[in-house]
Amino acid sequence: MNNAQMSARVGFFFLIGCALLWITYEALNGGSFSRQQGYTVVARFNTLKELKPGDDVRQAGVRIGTVESTRLGAGHAEAVILLNEGTLVAQDATATIAMAGLLGGGYIALDFGTTGSGTVAPGGQLRTRESADINTLLADLGGLTGDIKNAISGISGVTGAANGQGGLFQKLDTLVTTNSENLTRTIDNLNAITTEIRSGRGTIGRLINDPQAHDELLAALAEIRAAAGEARTFVVDTRGLVDQVKSGQGTLGTLLYDQATADNLKLTVANFRDLSTKLNSGQGTLGKLLTDEQLYRDVQGVVRKADRALDGMSDQGPISAVGAAAGALF
Amino acid sequence: MKRIVTDTCDGIGSGLILAYRSFASLPTAPRILKRVVEQAYLGSYTSLPIVVILCFFIGAVLALQTGISVANLNMQAIIGTLVGESMTRELGPVMVAIILAGRVGSATTAELASMRVYQEVDALVTMNIPPERFLVLPRLLAVLLFMPFLAMTGIVIGWLGGMVVCQFVQFIDVPPEVYFRSLKQFLSAADLTHGLIKAEIFGFVIILTACNTGLRTRGGPREIGASVTRSVVLSLVLILVLDYFITKVLA
Repeated sequence: MNNAQMSARVGFFFLIGCALLWITYEALNGGSFSRQQGYTVVARFNTLKELKPGDDVRQAGVRIGTVESTRLGAGHAEAVILLNEGTLVAQDATATIAMAGLLGGGYIALDFGTTGSGTVAPGGQLRTRESADINTLLADLGGLTGDIKNAISGISGVTGAANGQGGLFQKLDTLVTTNSENLTRTIDNLNAITTEIRSGRGTIGRLINDPQAHDELLAALAEIRAAAGEARTFVVDTRGLVDQVKSGQGTLGTLLYDQATADNLKLTVANFRDLSTKLNSGQGTLGKLLTDEQLYRDVQGVVRKADRALDGMSDQGPISAVGAAAGALF
Repeated sequence: MKRIVTDTCDGIGSGLILAYRSFASLPTAPRILKRVVEQAYLGSYTSLPIVVILCFFIGAVLALQTGISVANLNMQAIIGTLVGESMTRELGPVMVAIILAGRVGSATTAELASMRVYQEVDALVTMNIPPERFLVLPRLLAVLLFMPFLAMTGIVIGWLGGMVVCQFVQFIDVPPEVYFRSLKQFLSAADLTHGLIKAEIFGFVIILTACNTGLRTRGGPREIGASVTRSVVLSLVLILVLDYFITKVLA
């Protein structure tokens, strides 16, 4: 192989190697080789988190540009975004920094905004919103863990044997263990009952399985319903009656609600009591008549005499009869 | 034991002296330019096919193994990152260095050892031509020039190997755009520089070891083979030992 050919091959290899190096470095640095056509806009955030030049800018998940550079502004961080040519972003589209995956890395997520609000001009500024950082979330989660731990210790206090007296589960266990025989028997009974019912025996079984019983029950129910309707009518009538009584109408109403009648009644009752007292103690004519045995005999004698006299008088004229009666009495 | 220590120190010392003497004659470099080109041709251009084949399959296997591991987790997107990082920082430079040790280092040792055995080196010294300038410097300059390019080729071919596997293996199925996006996501220019510096140091150490072992050959033609073996083994050990320390320093 002559020298010229050898040199040419070495030169070729070196040129290729140089080109490869240049391309790779440019691509990795996000340099001019990987630069795309488009226009830049600026998004301001309080923190850019893990965002770095070369990260994606996505609208609804579709890549529409890249983060060209990041820099510090006055009191905030700025991401310069290179949007692909022909991509239009609404003026009120909001940019947030989203996480690309659990391994880290981020991207800027843009929403659509509203149509008709105009588009962001080249060099313009995007509306932004801060999103929760995973560190913030984890800090919140830490607090939550404490709460959960408290809650669980509370639960275990109730259920477990934390206080040495046996918790709920232990008590339940004891209950079930000691009563297992009874429980088994109860369950057997239930089983027997349900079997009976299924086979249509007994009242409930017949009710469930016999269509006639069902019809009768329905008829009974209809009657009960009718009775209930009547009862309702009765109640309504009664209510009307009570209303009348309340309003002082009718005898009962007057008796209950008229003061004058009540007074009269009271007076009458008092008089009656007085009278009966006198009667009991034998005072007055009637009292004596009731209590005095002698008087009774006298009266009996008189009556007997009068009877006799009347018999005797039957032959005499009416005048002598009156005269004889008066003479016998007085 | 004493002999091993003496030999080791002797080897390190003679290597350093050889490097010093070679670079001391650097002002005469224009006069040996033809020899530099020749060595560059032998070292780089003729090594290209094997570098391409080896690095392609290293990248492909890396992607395949990662794919098998992460397919269950549905994390195929990280294959690009993994292949990119490992090829760039580690496997590219190391693989190219191993090829260089096996292919160029052994040839260099064999050539210089036979020149030493057949007293051609003595003849050069007699003619007041320092063997360091005539034999060693062109090789060192050549390796320093072509090593970054060779390593770069190996790295890029490894990336492509991973890409091919990602695209055509059914259970991985990662399109090239996704593969290269994830590759770019975590790979920085510093990683690439890291890999290239490593390759440069490996290349220099391999050629220096080969030249030193070759020139220190004593005895008859049988010693040529022993020298070649020693040179290659020493080079491989040095590559992997240095790899650790360089990575530590650069990190």
